[in-house]
Amino acid sequence: MSVGEVVETVKYVVREGLRGGRAYYGLLLGLLVMAVYGVYVWVGVQHAPIFLRSEQGGLVLTGMSDSVPWGLYISFFVFWVGVAAAGIMFALGAYVFNHPGFRKIAVLGEVQAVAALIVVLLLIIADMGRPLRAMVLMPLLPNFPRSMLGWDFVVITGYLVINLVGYLYTVGRYREDRSLSARFLVPFVIVAAPIAIGIHTVTAFISQALTARPYWNTALLAPRYVATAFASGPALLLLVLLLAERSVKGFRVDWDVYRKTIFVTTGALIVGLYFTFSEVQELLWYTTEPFKKAQLEVLLLGRAAAWLSLLFWLWIALGVAAVILALIPSVRSTRGGVAFIALLTVIAVIGEKTLTIVLPSYIPDSLGQIRPYTPTPVEIVVTIGIHAIGFLIYAILAKPAIRAIMTHYKGASH
Amino acid sequence: MSGSRRVDEKRRNLLKAGVFAAGISFIGVSRSTLMSMLKPVSLSEVLGVPPRRETEETLARKAEWKEERIKEWCSRKVEEICREYGEGSEECAEARRRCEAVKVKATPARQGVAFAMALDVNKCIGCRRCAYACVMENNVARNNGIEWIKVLEAPREGEAIDFLHAKLDYTDAPKEDMVYVPVACMHCENPPCVMACPVRATWREPDGIVVVDYERCIGCRYCMTACPYGARHFNWGVPEPSVLELNPNMHILGNVPRQVHVVEKCTWCIHRTRDGGIPACVEVCPVGARVFGDLNDPESPIRRVLEEYGAFVLKPEAGTRPRFFYFFGPARTPAAKEGGGEK
Repeated sequence: MSVGEVVETVKYVVREGLRGGRAYYGLLLGLLVMAVYGVYVWVGVQHAPIFLRSEQGGLVLTGMSDSVPWGLYISFFVFWVGVAAAGIMFALGAYVFNHPGFRKIAVLGEVQAVAALIVVLLLIIADMGRPLRAMVLMPLLPNFPRSMLGWDFVVITGYLVINLVGYLYTVGRYREDRSLSARFLVPFVIVAAPIAIGIHTVTAFISQALTARPYWNTALLAPRYVATAFASGPALLLLVLLLAERSVKGFRVDWDVYRKTIFVTTGALIVGLYFTFSEVQELLWYTTEPFKKAQLEVLLLGRAAAWLSLLFWLWIALGVAAVILALIPSVRSTRGGVAFIALLTVIAVIGEKTLTIVLPSYIPDSLGQIRPYTPTPVEIVVTIGIHAIGFLIYAILAKPAIRAIMTHYKGASH
Repeated sequence: MSGSRRVDEKRRNLLKAGVFAAGISFIGVSRSTLMSMLKPVSLSEVLGVPPRRETEETLARKAEWKEERIKEWCSRKVEEICREYGEGSEECAEARRRCEAVKVKATPARQGVAFAMALDVNKCIGCRRCAYACVMENNVARNNGIEWIKVLEAPREGEAIDFLHAKLDYTDAPKEDMVYVPVACMHCENPPCVMACPVRATWREPDGIVVVDYERCIGCRYCMTACPYGARHFNWGVPEPSVLELNPNMHILGNVPRQVHVVEKCTWCIHRTRDGGIPACVEVCPVGARVFGDLNDPESPIRRVLEEYGAFVLKPEAGTRPRFFYFFGPARTPAAKEGGGEK
């Protein structure tokens, strides 16, 4: 693609992304209001000492403390990295296994990855005490091979760029009713697939090699992250596809896409549940490191933070429910059934991979002291605002993509 | 047409392969030539130990700059205090005296020094005077609730001697059946925090002190997550040091007043020890439980106690190799009761 074509595609994306009916504008406006309020609370309240040189405010307004230095932001960071990573599943189905149904909608996997990665980066920035310094220093990678955060920065920004390129290329070709060229797709998949797994692996590597945090100190962490990512990411995309089919006239998704994706998410859920089972056995059956056991007891039995253990049991209950429902043919063969299974899967993985994967390693803390953590309204508002930005970008990028798909596929079933 | 293009392409691929093979053989054949062209880099420099180290000049310049800024800030505060208490008041004079005395040093590490500290668990009475002196000495902001030294109280006997049963919030000490374990930065030889920091804002100095560059810290708190001793503390709110209690003897990598959203930690009173002094906690300890010195100096007190009593470290399984040792001295304070079984 030439520069001119890229510019034209960007113009097309902006034009189509901002065009729509009253309901669409209502959605955008609602998200915008939440986003603006979230950014306001971040700039003007939580980070007021940095941006406004105020004597008031600061991260002291969050629930975090020296005992629990990472909280809500990093928890959802982990979740959305998983969602971003799983976007690659659709590219694999489309371009490696050459499934026509997946080929049609693969670009939406890239949309989801871009939106999720923007949420990821914003959550990190919101959590960072000195974001301006970080923006200057992080790209220089001063401690690159040693600090896992440097690796994370590289793979996440790299994966964001790759997905943006894939998105612009696909939309640019489809909107002119041209098919994708293998000369683009082969290198794209070869580069994107390992980095997709890489972003979530590195995210786990940030925490799993720390002797200070016994709860994370297991080689099962990275596989577990990747396993449940392949449940939550595709399940979220299924919900988006179902929504798109309902709201965009003439847009149809091949039924086989739903069927195959449910197979993948169910398989991933089973693996994830199995990993949880294995970890619980390691810690609780005989004797093990007392710290690790104490941290797991906080998670399982709700010592110090009952809601944390509620989230954990939500993961088990909804995860098992989603697997059972997906095994029943009459449920998984209807659109409503697929939607329900996908919804259960997403909520189950939020239960597994947000606060439950971050907080227990801080409760009890490294000196054995229990200092419970509860997110404060400031944190919650900023987190919601960031998610609103993410969904805004999702909507604005998905709309032109669907339009371009329909141009290329002429609205036929595929 | 298409036939000739295919031939062309084949030829081009053949040429490409040839060039590629030549490149490989060049590397294979004239490796020594290549080596002389490329500058050798020690692997440890790329992967391992030497962190970002300020040169002495840049650090000294930074200290000067910081001193100016601190003086600006504190003379503003002095005016406020003098207005509040009156020009002739004791507070006004005190604040002015402290503010004028502010000196930010950048004393570099002395060659061949390896600092270490040891603590006699038998002697410690858990009075927490060290924690208090540390706050005063190091200009720790009083409003952020930070204490570099935490004192754990744990049962002396039984199965419950571990962190999980230790208490930080005890209110009276010493108790007969309790043991007191002060914990602060261990100045590890293999510090996980230095490894974790994505921007090299923290590093280990040649004399073994692990320091933080407050001007460089991005506040990501990864080092706090990586530290097995809970030794790192974050300025969650805007620190408000009091000029009336300001310690004017400062070091740029130590007790200069901190900013909001940066990490801080014990520096073994770098502003004292680099000039030959001892840390404030050692000086203040009423029972003399703490020993500080240079491991490389055979005459130093630290060498004596380590050789005489043997050393223990906290969490050896963490693989951090602490330079903060614990030992069991000859006598227990307070003395155990008659026939208490204490040797």
